Amino acid sequence: MNPVTLYNNDIFTNVPVEAPVERNFYPYADNGGTSLGIAGADFCLMASDTRKSSGYSIHSRYSPKAFKLTEKAVLATNGFAADGLALTKRLGQKLEWYKHAHDKEMSTPALAQMLANTLYYKRFFPYYTFNLLGGIDEQGRGVLYSFDPVGSMGTEVCRAGGSSAALIQPFLDNQVALKNQQGVQQTPLSLEAAIRITKDSFTSATERDIYTGDYLEIFIIRQEGTTIERIDLKKD
Amino acid sequence: MVTKLEQPKGGFNFDNYQRNVALEKKGITFPKMTKTGTTIVGLIYKDGICLGADTRATAGPIVADKNCEKIHYLAPNMYCCGAGTAADTEFTTALISSQLELHRLTTGREARVATALIMLKQMLFRYQGHIGAALVLGGYDVTGPNLYTIHPHGSTDKLPYVTMGSGSLAAMAVFESKWRKDLERQEAIDLVREAIESGIFNDLGSGSNVDVTVIEKGKIDVYRNYAKPNERGVKEQSYKFKRGTTAILKESIRDIVAITEGIEEMDIS
Amino acid sequence: MPLKAGEVNLGTTVMAVKFGDGVIIGADSRTTTGAYIANRVTDKLTPVHDKIFCCRSGSAADTQAIADIVRYYLEMFAIKDGEDPTVQSASALFQELCYQNKDNLTAGIIVAGWDKYEGGSVYIIPLGGSLHKQPFAIGGSGSTYIYGYCDTAYKEGMTREEAIEFVRTAIALAISRDGSSGGCIRLAVITQQGVERIFTPGDKLPKFWQDELKL
Repeated sequence: MNPVTLYNNDIFTNVPVEAPVERNFYPYADNGGTSLGIAGADFCLMASDTRKSSGYSIHSRYSPKAFKLTEKAVLATNGFAADGLALTKRLGQKLEWYKHAHDKEMSTPALAQMLANTLYYKRFFPYYTFNLLGGIDEQGRGVLYSFDPVGSMGTEVCRAGGSSAALIQPFLDNQVALKNQQGVQQTPLSLEAAIRITKDSFTSATERDIYTGDYLEIFIIRQEGTTIERIDLKKD
Repeated sequence: MVTKLEQPKGGFNFDNYQRNVALEKKGITFPKMTKTGTTIVGLIYKDGICLGADTRATAGPIVADKNCEKIHYLAPNMYCCGAGTAADTEFTTALISSQLELHRLTTGREARVATALIMLKQMLFRYQGHIGAALVLGGYDVTGPNLYTIHPHGSTDKLPYVTMGSGSLAAMAVFESKWRKDLERQEAIDLVREAIESGIFNDLGSGSNVDVTVIEKGKIDVYRNYAKPNERGVKEQSYKFKRGTTAILKESIRDIVAITEGIEEMDIS
Repeated sequence: MPLKAGEVNLGTTVMAVKFGDGVIIGADSRTTTGAYIANRVTDKLTPVHDKIFCCRSGSAADTQAIADIVRYYLEMFAIKDGEDPTVQSASALFQELCYQNKDNLTAGIIVAGWDKYEGGSVYIIPLGGSLHKQPFAIGGSGSTYIYGYCDTAYKEGMTREEAIEFVRTAIALAISRDGSSGGCIRLAVITQQGVERIFTPGDKLPKFWQDELKL
């Protein structure tokens, strides 16, 4: 018998091969939400809403994304909530190690540099978070830093981050940095005025951004210590 | 050799379609249409139909309109809630409404809800889903109360209680647990309000206020903003600018009055 | 053909059986859009004339549009001819629409009914638009699960009661295996006398060995 006939060669040559189906695993999500920071002369104000969502669903109405890292610094994370939590946990651990090694709390500028390094360490699998770090430095002055997901750092006076950043930032530039206002006297911003502007920023953002709402947490960091205030936002 | 290309006279031109497909492949995003990521509902109760809708219109994550109207007039005995592409729901209901008015005038009779249903579904089917209108149609005619849903591809369902839009699951959860036969008028309104509020609070595509329309035999009540569960609080301060805050970069005053001598003859060549 | 995005699907089980006096048709009642059940009490047994029905499966929009057109034509025929149209005429109309527009349709249709020439008869028009006359027919996504049962249980010349039980059991079996089929069972008995509808609610479906399992 001709051995060739033993096999049906057609099945190797004539079977239509379908194009391979591409399956993608996407490790990131956008959980929405908004944060804001204002650095004053002797204080820093950090605020975040507490809604966590994706698509058209609300996962949680109270899931904070601003955390007190030291007595003099608060971190607000935006973007992918799981990475924000993982990053916060990692920074907390590093701060603990620092405390044991040096017998003191890390200063806020040092913490900012450490955060930038921590983010850049994951340059090719980034923490998908947009961070704001606010607090007071060793001289008691209000300081505010903003970061992109891979660790580029900037020093700011006022900054909005997250889903409503584009809505709030121009307002802050105008009302805090007094941009595009002719003939206004440049008096240092009081804490009370900063709180008012913050509240109005968030109630207004809640009106127009579907990912911002539920509750607002305002951290006020001063030399004497850090206080927190919780305010209701609209829940629709 | 030069080939002379004839410019076609009349007919349709699909060049832009090809262009748009090519542009889209290159990764260009086209302008977003305003979607009414919506909660709309309807139910049959003892004496008629109760329709409900939220009032939020969105463009992506941004709220485009905080108090839009989603319950559209169709005929003196019919109203229609719209979800999906805002323009499509508005224009389809307006178009069918006008056709129904002509129908009423030619027949001398009140149009039936089933007539409106057929007109809407045949139009949507003809457009094969490209008209993104998801509708809840309710009305009262000689056959009694009628309630339907119409999907963008033209399929329809006849049910005693219906929901549509991105908040339809939240609203249907309320109906499936609380709807019963022969509800009283106020009970029906309360249930519709609860279903819409469920959409408003649990679905990010829905929000702001509750609109309700009640249709009974020979009587329609439109309750615009029946409930306002999301009123904005007062702002912390005023943001009125002092006069002169806006910088004047350049100033020039010109004479814009052109003076001509006599009357010129009009060129009619 | 894949369904268009967001299209309403009749992920269905439908069937029709010829018996002594006419035909029995049956269907589940589930309509889905993706994972959401858009209608849990759908009536997929659609009349196109007094004694001719179709069982719809595939796209809800497509099958409703086809049925509406056929219903219109059969009404015109009846008026013109002065007598009821035959099931054969109805099925030929369905086939014409399904075949000529096959590129744009997702419609699997069973046509069944009674006429004075043939008595009860059953036709099936699968996706491509071919037409098959059969003693019984099953269709929809759930039908794949019950070919074995139907081929075993079907008998020629069943009584009304036997045929009803056959259809009800077959659809209940399909519902138990097919996620896109469910809800309740709708049946219709079409004979010379007319149409009798039988409704079986979702909590009164026939039970099988799995449903009796006590863990």
